[in-house]
Amino acid sequence: MGSATTVEMKQRLAIIGNGMAGARFCAELVARGGADRFDITIFGEEPGGAYNRILLSDVLNGSREAGAIETHSLDWFARNNITLRAGEKITFIDRDEKTLTSDRGRISHYDSLVLATGSRALVPPMDGLHSSDGERKKGIFVLRTLADCDRVANYARKATRAVVVGGGLLGLEAARGLMQHGAQVGVVHRSGCLMSAQLDQSSGDMLRHQMEMMGINVHLNKATTAILGDECAQGLAFRDGTELRADMVVLACGIVPNIELARDAGFEVNKGIEVDDALRVQGDENTFAIGECAEHQGQVYGLVAPAWEQARVLALRLSGHSPDALYTGSKTSTKLKVMGVELASIGTPREAEGDEVVTYAEPSKGRYKKLIIRDNRLKGAILLGDVRKAAVLQQAFDRSTPLPDERATLFFDIGRATNDIADFPDDATVCNCNGVSAGTLRATIQEGAASVETLMAQTKAGTGCGTCKSSLKALLAAKG
Amino acid sequence: MQCGMNLNHTHEGWSIEARDFPTNRGGMCRKGWTSIALLEHPERLTAPLIRREKGGSFEAVSWDEALDFVASRFIAIQSEQGRDSVGVFGGGGLTNEKAYALGKFARVALKTANIDYNGRYCMASAAAAGLRAYGIDRGLPFPMQDIAGADTVFLFGSNLAETMPPIVQWFDELKENGGKLIVVDPRETPTARLADVHLQITPGSDLALANAMLSIAVEENLIDEEFIATRTNGFECAREVAGRIWNGYIEWACGIDEEQVREVTRMLFEGNSMFLSARGAEQHANGTETVMGFINVALAMGKAGKTFNGYGTLTGQGNGQGGREHGQKCDQLPGYRKILDPIHRAEVADHWGVSLDELPGAGKNAVDLLNSIGEPDGIRALWTMGSNLVISSPNANRVRQKIESLDLLVVSDLFMSETAQLADVVLPSMQWAEEEGTMTNLEGRVLKRNRAAAAPEGARSDLWTIQALAERLGQGDKFFPDARTTFDELRRVTKGAPADYSGISYEGIDQHDGMFWPCPDEQAENGGTQRLFLDRFAHPDGRAVFHPVEWWGRAEEPDEQYPLFFTTGRTMAQYQSGTQTRRVKELNAVAGRAWVELHPDLALELNIEHGEIVRVSSRRGAIEVEARLTDAIRPDTLFAPFHYAGQGCANLLTIPALDPISKMPEFKVCAAKIEKVGV
Repeated sequence: MGSATTVEMKQRLAIIGNGMAGARFCAELVARGGADRFDITIFGEEPGGAYNRILLSDVLNGSREAGAIETHSLDWFARNNITLRAGEKITFIDRDEKTLTSDRGRISHYDSLVLATGSRALVPPMDGLHSSDGERKKGIFVLRTLADCDRVANYARKATRAVVVGGGLLGLEAARGLMQHGAQVGVVHRSGCLMSAQLDQSSGDMLRHQMEMMGINVHLNKATTAILGDECAQGLAFRDGTELRADMVVLACGIVPNIELARDAGFEVNKGIEVDDALRVQGDENTFAIGECAEHQGQVYGLVAPAWEQARVLALRLSGHSPDALYTGSKTSTKLKVMGVELASIGTPREAEGDEVVTYAEPSKGRYKKLIIRDNRLKGAILLGDVRKAAVLQQAFDRSTPLPDERATLFFDIGRATNDIADFPDDATVCNCNGVSAGTLRATIQEGAASVETLMAQTKAGTGCGTCKSSLKALLAAKG
Repeated sequence: MQCGMNLNHTHEGWSIEARDFPTNRGGMCRKGWTSIALLEHPERLTAPLIRREKGGSFEAVSWDEALDFVASRFIAIQSEQGRDSVGVFGGGGLTNEKAYALGKFARVALKTANIDYNGRYCMASAAAAGLRAYGIDRGLPFPMQDIAGADTVFLFGSNLAETMPPIVQWFDELKENGGKLIVVDPRETPTARLADVHLQITPGSDLALANAMLSIAVEENLIDEEFIATRTNGFECAREVAGRIWNGYIEWACGIDEEQVREVTRMLFEGNSMFLSARGAEQHANGTETVMGFINVALAMGKAGKTFNGYGTLTGQGNGQGGREHGQKCDQLPGYRKILDPIHRAEVADHWGVSLDELPGAGKNAVDLLNSIGEPDGIRALWTMGSNLVISSPNANRVRQKIESLDLLVVSDLFMSETAQLADVVLPSMQWAEEEGTMTNLEGRVLKRNRAAAAPEGARSDLWTIQALAERLGQGDKFFPDARTTFDELRRVTKGAPADYSGISYEGIDQHDGMFWPCPDEQAENGGTQRLFLDRFAHPDGRAVFHPVEWWGRAEEPDEQYPLFFTTGRTMAQYQSGTQTRRVKELNAVAGRAWVELHPDLALELNIEHGEIVRVSSRRGAIEVEARLTDAIRPDTLFAPFHYAGQGCANLLTIPALDPISKMPEFKVCAAKIEKVGV
């Protein structure tokens, strides 16, 4: 038990946001002994513990239960002596007084502050979002929280035609989730290429074809201008004058970093809250930002790995484990499984001038592979249909390792030449355990050793792990 | 694993034959076949040596003079600096009798808390995980032969085909029976080549893999709910951790294909499955948690506490199991008792005839012990036995500096090892075939080594040395110079303890080809307890325990300056720090010099050719060794064997980051770079 003085010496650390970044940071800080330095309070707008937002589409399609995606339960926070204020939204940061004000009117003091406010679904400006009473129309949804997930699932059961606006990663994930509920699902996309941040045109076309084969209607080059219907959503209207009937609409048009709280407190914000390599908010020693609300060297990331990499660096610094740890940016990759179609995208999907490009396409099987190479390093890769090499490519990309001269090995497992023992040169080792060469074995056979047992007794070959016994047999056979 | 062998001496000299023993069944690798070269070796130490001043040369002296000198220095240093200023460093190659006597010597004769051993570098993580999950630590909870009866064996971090080849016959039998072998290793080792599935993970990501597998098991409902409900505690907390992954996590963290991991998880769920680990997964700053992570998977699937199922660890050192049971560890008393447990303390104090207040508490672990040299509360004198710690410790440069600054270093060894070269006093020991004693192998099988050869004039049994020094410290009546009497005391003292040897006798060992602990008297007839946990686990409520564990990455990640992973391991023809094997001509002929393995793609870019001398460095040190090009290694990883000294000492590079639970250093991964030399 800490004495009264050590308790007083502890700093108060407040974390705003209990999402993928906030909870991860909190857990890593505790794992690295940060609880000895800080009294930790974490604020989450949503009720309950932290959960894995990435798996929301699994919950929507029923492959996981809502409870199974919880990552840090209320009990976890209690066990680790962390104060979790769940369902409490911070509405104001007073930088000078170092206080936080919540929507419940509670004011709390902090010494250090971590902003992990995340992002929210982008609802692009369009007509017909609201009904006459000013409320959002029934049947219009975003998919960002467990509560959203519940609402979408409930509504989808009664819907016959659902449409997702946005053919990016989140949109396709949402479409996948909706398929499970019996509705006819369509995807509407502004550009001519699905997942244009991750795919090139060829792979985008192939993916569209496959989605259609599975019964998802894909509408490309459709800029949505309005949602039809009076009280309830009844369809979409597009800039080209066409319309699409639907009784439910899920907006998956991207995310917007939640920066308003920081901006109102006077911190530098751009697209996100600007941070340096120490993840410090500009001009404030004791305030940090991580995750989807943070902007580092002009980059705002919308993926888990960068958020976790930032959480790690900040936990290393604040726990005192490595006070000089720096965050130097993340390399991004995505992997997705849509209704049995697997795809992986690593780095950039589009080549620049002078880049070496290697592609393999097998459209009839829905397989497409592409590498973008610069200075013998991987700059980007797309795998569609067969993603077994995603791991190898991602590691080559992440660690910037030189690539094999035989590029095909990055696409396929190319078998090695089989070794026929009869062709072994005399100096080749047959028994690794006891260091017996093919020549020694041949000589021993020449001298009259006629069985595996005799060979073993005379040369010691095969007496260790025994895996070369079949080679001994083959050498005897070659002789006979 | 301990291979049985017979030694014969005729007018032509020594000959050796492999014995049809339950462990090796007549198999043996070249370390076994060539071991007779160590008998009558010309470099054996045959007289105690003293160096009267630092930097001076050694002088051969009589045993009396050497022991009087050591005892008087111990007494003088302790009276000036306190009892804990003298430390003892043991080894996992010592017999049970020596391990026991050395631990007792530290606590009863020196009355110091500071004793630890090189097993800290070896078995500590698996041991700590076993204790936490199952309530007891025995390498395998089943006899080795059970391996052949499983359906799937999941082997993580072991290159057993090179390090203990005769064990492969059990895996061959497994495969003949239709069973499958899965190997997790960043390198395509000879063991990985035997596997049905090889998961070539990024170094240091084993725990991420364990959690991913648990997550898949939960998602695909590959769990045994009845087993979880009736035989375990804590599943909910572990399951929560498993929810923390995402699509792409396995590729990001482990560098392997998710679908492959799913297939492996399904295979393991299907039939009888064993999970076996070794140092590759354990020698990390998260080694204990890594093992607990895989135990979580085994428990969730109900693959424990049943025949042909369960988790076990494969022991490398000669007496890796027995060496960790009898009090060489800083926090432990004989029979796997805990030094801080008041009941355990009272039991042992009673047996030893010392007062409870006199029995020291927990001392410093190996790494902290060596780090403490020169610090205010640190040790000033050290006695090492069976350990070449300037080769085997992480960040070896720093350890050497520390050792050199000691007031007194006493080394007991067979040969003038690299550590002995730094000593003030060197005491020549007898070796394996020259005295009898027991060892406990990875199965918990207690074996006896018989005396077959005469020791050279001047070498003495370590037991004799311990007793003779105790005599000079006024405690001679509490020690015995011979193994049998010491073992009889060990039996009495461990009665009722977790590792209970009371029913094990030299005669019983001969009769049963080894006896398994725990072996209270009533089990003696059956040869002890072959299989643990069939009815209950060793926690008081009989249940196994899940532990929520999470992967946070490595102690040191590659960066621009040091862009590669560096990992270490053993090679077929050498053993540990090489004190013995580097002195065997036949072994040196195949593996006489250190080397580094790198991928041809990396070599091509750096213009490094097979066989040239390259420089490999980390933030802590550098080695210059021969480059070996092999596509068995990942292009982002370098590998070097750790047996060598001087310019080839791999541990000059390794990082002394410690596992917070087991205090195991992170030998298996750090950041490094490789360059051409000179030019």
